[in-house]
Amino acid sequence: MSDQKVVLGYGDVSFGDELPEVIPDVSMPMVRRFGETTGMTYWRFTDHEKAREAGLPGAIVPGIMSQGILVSLIHRWAPEASVLKIDTIFRAPVVVDSRPTCRGVVTDMDDEKRTVELDLTLSNEEGETRVLGTALVSL
Amino acid sequence: MDIAELKKKWAGWTFDEVRFEIEAEPLAEFSLACGETLPRYTDPQDPNFQAAPSFAARFHGDRALPEGFPSDREASFDGGKAVDWKAPIRPGDTLIARSHIHDIFEKTGRSGGMMFIVHRMEFSNQNDEIVSIVDWKMIRKL
Repeated sequence: MSDQKVVLGYGDVSFGDELPEVIPDVSMPMVRRFGETTGMTYWRFTDHEKAREAGLPGAIVPGIMSQGILVSLIHRWAPEASVLKIDTIFRAPVVVDSRPTCRGVVTDMDDEKRTVELDLTLSNEEGETRVLGTALVSL
Repeated sequence: MDIAELKKKWAGWTFDEVRFEIEAEPLAEFSLACGETLPRYTDPQDPNFQAAPSFAARFHGDRALPEGFPSDREASFDGGKAVDWKAPIRPGDTLIARSHIHDIFEKTGRSGGMMFIVHRMEFSNQNDEIVSIVDWKMIRKL
């Protein structure tokens, strides 16, 4: 189970540490807000009915919004962290207005560079991983 | 399709160049919509205000693939994005994004062969400093 400590520096981290889970806001108003600022206002992101007609499970969260959500998970865990790299795979859609969960775990540490590697996931209510990623973080 | 020939012909040269002027509000809105809470990403008044690390992934060039490339963008699906953060992006910056095909390779899975096209956008600021590199994997069934 995740503890809720805030990481202030490299010395606060241990291999295998879990990041505190976050339930991100992927409501329609938030996805529309993201769409308005990025130009991603396509119906597949903003209209459940049209998305279902096209065979999707509903309107879906833009992949790069999911990626940004995973970055914010890292910052909630370690506010002073610098995210040097994030690599995400959009394995399956995250549905707008659902209640996904973000998780992360420390999978590698470099004492010399004071960097850590993280495995990150965004899962749906059934526990199925929809987006997965890795990140390299300097602390 | 000969993947090695395809890579030899199409990878490694710039086929698209786009310019972006960076303003404060879209940086903050991107961060807030992604759930960021740190003022350096959400508050334009913060002295260290800057784009969230994955911000550059939101940009597209004028073309996804070079003219004449023998595969439609529509025939492929999105395999994911990787962002290498190099330096802060701040309001007032002018970014130049140059696109090239970084790699083309093949993988064989249970459903057969798949071609991976790695589209790379390199973002430089007005000081010719690289601020971000975004790799976008496009996957197509062979």
